[in-house]
Amino acid sequence: MSTPRIVWLLSLWLGAGMAYAQLPDGPHKETALKLCGTCHAPTIVLGRGMTRDQWGEVVSDMISKGAKGSTEEFGLVVDYLATALPANGASQTTPRRKPSGGLSAGPQDRQVVDEASAALGKAIYFRECITCHGPKARGAGPNAPEGQRGSDLVRSLVVLHDRYGNQLGPFLKKGHPMQGGGSSAALNPAQVQDLANFLHQRFEDTLHRAPFEKPLDVLTGNAKAGEAYFNGAGKCSTCHSVTGDLAHIATKYDPPALQLRFLFPKSTRFGAGASHNRPVTVTVTQPDGHTFSGEVVRMDDFTVALRDSNGDYRSWARTADLGVHKTDPYRTHIELLDQYTDKDMHDIVAYLETLK
Amino acid sequence: MKMYLKTVFVLMLSAASGLAQGLQAEKLLQQPIDTWPTYNGDYSGRRFSSLIQINDKNITSLSLAWAYRLSAGAGGAAGSIKATPLMVNGVLYFTVPDHVWAVDARSGQEIWHYQWSTKGGIHLGNRGVGIYGNWLYFETPDCNLVSLNIQSGKERWHKQICDIDQFYYASVAPIIVKNHVLVGVSGDDLDIPGYLESRDPETGDLQWHWSSVPKPGEPGSETWPTAEAMEHGGGMTWVPSTYDPELNLVYVGTGNPQPVIAGKGRKGDNLYTESIVALNLDSGKLVWHFQPSPHDTHDWDAVQTPVLFDGVVNGAPRKLLAQASRNGYFFVLDRTNGKNIVTSEYVKTNWARGVDAKGQPIPNPAKEPQPDGALVSPNQGGGANWPPPSFSPATGLFYVNATRAYSVYYIYDDDDKPEGWGGNDQGGWAESMLQAIDYKTGKIRWSHKWESAGIRSGVLSTAGNLVFAGDTSNNLVALDATTGKALWHANLGQGLSNGAITYELDGKQYLVVGAGDTLYSFVMLKP
Repeated sequence: MSTPRIVWLLSLWLGAGMAYAQLPDGPHKETALKLCGTCHAPTIVLGRGMTRDQWGEVVSDMISKGAKGSTEEFGLVVDYLATALPANGASQTTPRRKPSGGLSAGPQDRQVVDEASAALGKAIYFRECITCHGPKARGAGPNAPEGQRGSDLVRSLVVLHDRYGNQLGPFLKKGHPMQGGGSSAALNPAQVQDLANFLHQRFEDTLHRAPFEKPLDVLTGNAKAGEAYFNGAGKCSTCHSVTGDLAHIATKYDPPALQLRFLFPKSTRFGAGASHNRPVTVTVTQPDGHTFSGEVVRMDDFTVALRDSNGDYRSWARTADLGVHKTDPYRTHIELLDQYTDKDMHDIVAYLETLK
Repeated sequence: MKMYLKTVFVLMLSAASGLAQGLQAEKLLQQPIDTWPTYNGDYSGRRFSSLIQINDKNITSLSLAWAYRLSAGAGGAAGSIKATPLMVNGVLYFTVPDHVWAVDARSGQEIWHYQWSTKGGIHLGNRGVGIYGNWLYFETPDCNLVSLNIQSGKERWHKQICDIDQFYYASVAPIIVKNHVLVGVSGDDLDIPGYLESRDPETGDLQWHWSSVPKPGEPGSETWPTAEAMEHGGGMTWVPSTYDPELNLVYVGTGNPQPVIAGKGRKGDNLYTESIVALNLDSGKLVWHFQPSPHDTHDWDAVQTPVLFDGVVNGAPRKLLAQASRNGYFFVLDRTNGKNIVTSEYVKTNWARGVDAKGQPIPNPAKEPQPDGALVSPNQGGGANWPPPSFSPATGLFYVNATRAYSVYYIYDDDDKPEGWGGNDQGGWAESMLQAIDYKTGKIRWSHKWESAGIRSGVLSTAGNLVFAGDTSNNLVALDATTGKALWHANLGQGLSNGAITYELDGKQYLVVGAGDTLYSFVMLKP
């Protein structure tokens, strides 16, 4: 874990005004307290929900920063964190992207990662490689001591060209320094396979659209300021009520979904689908004075079509003497996009999150 | 004597058939009339036709000549015709990823179809072919440049131009100038450098290689923090370049730096990503550069066609270059030296703090992606994207199908050395419009707003006072080029997926456009 992230987590913890709290109970809590508590208050993780993969990344970072324990113990810590502090509303077992043709990037024949083997490879990596190649296999960086500045293996051409150890194996066979002092040439074929699976897993997880590409934490605003904006400058309370349509809204959506739903009520990748959307409506006034209103079915420069409250479909060619008036129920939300500051946005999310 | 005459006759015949079949090099240096011999019609990128048989007075008499639906089983987004067809000697040549067709421009009859056997890569779109004499060139998603015989569609050779294992792919239409086949590359999943190459048209061998990122110690390297960041810095070349024969300069737009969204590990301007660069055609050496988006973190490739035209600025004739960039800004440069003349917003944006002395926008760090989100306009799709714009010397207006949009940009990877994308934008709202921009001021002369937001299309303008563009409701629309008034439309059932082309064949003016998996040909029978 980088120092800024620790500071950020601390500020989140303190800023939320939480009294000293206990970690949630769960299997292997005592292992987490023992390993993590050596360096910092274990409660630093409170308020942070992540997937198993993400917790794995954090624990890997900790190991690189000197956390002491066995591989098995660190596995138990990840188990505990993933169970006790899961990602908000997200599945704990996100499917790994499988290589495929079609629209997918990269070669069709790239390695399909064997997760069990990758886990064994990770243990070898921690034991023999992590000091020089870093906790994420991205290299140790320019500040590492001389002799420990291993290359970035996620971007390694040996790894990228590798299939099931066919490049990595011959490379290691030539002899490459390892942490334990042994020779890489002594790694057996199964161990090479395990390492190959781990390294392929590393770059698969780095690729665009990898499974844990999700917002880290959007609860950075001030709920009081959000409430003030809601009832003041934003005029949200003109249309919405925190005891009416928005009552308990925070129990329906996680914070990232809340953020996107209030900004863009018509389009969001989270939460319930289109059934909650209110349609755009149109009123058409014919030259003879008759008017018709309903949901817009189609509207362009040349035609307009609607479905009225009886379910009847009507359409017109647009002419100069045909009156067409479109009403977008989300117009106010669209206009607000030009007004919000990012602080307003974060404050509103913090306020909506209080509506449990 | 008799034998001699016969020989001469045969020679004349073969010469005549050669003319009828191949593309004459000089055609590429002329305004397109009876041909559309390169991606943008000519090297200028203007996509302007001097033909006037189809015009603002008779456009409502335009007839459908034929429709050709793709014969291959290339479905989904990959089966959408994003290629601009080339028309040479009465035959149209166009692509979708892994597929090339030759279709009779008179009838829509398929002449041949070539299919490449793929090893992978992103199959999102292919922008078309380049033609040199009797040979055709196109790129494949699995990183090959393939040359076919234009008569038979038979493969002559293929050459690897990028490494699919590094997650490169290839999609751009090759541009052929003299004996240079200019090929670009795509891909930004895993932090790789972009480049443009010149290849030999006969053999496919490399003539020169220009890298979008400098090497340590070279000019531009001061805009990167480390050699490693530079070496993995992106700058793909996935939209066809333009060319000025007098200056012998190739104008290239380069794509986003990498990692795409999380820029923490690449502090600095990140040259020559997000740049318009002028390269010497023969050497591939950089002559000048201008950077629309210094240190981009929003995926706003500056690859949009650098359009070349001559104009008058402050009373003086100038050789100009204009780009409506994905970041929402319109730029006019002096194309002899890259000096800025005009910088303006063609859609309202919120990401820059102003414009510097060089005419480049100054990014606001607060609008870089954030762990808790930053509300940014435009969104990742941008104010414009790859679909080609048009410039009409008749109206002096630059036409671009534009989008004003908001989304929230997040950092997902807050490591000091992020990799991959490291973030993305989510959610969003957008509105779409055709903008007509006065190149002298950068001001919007007219704006034709579409009724909804949605897909974009390329634009064609003609001396018939017409602009052709796709709207957001699957219509091909002809507008008055001077006023922006919509004059005619045809609902093609699928959104326009490329830019329209026009040419004269058998004395009649045709208009050809792709919409999804179908190519439509319109003709003016009673001009």
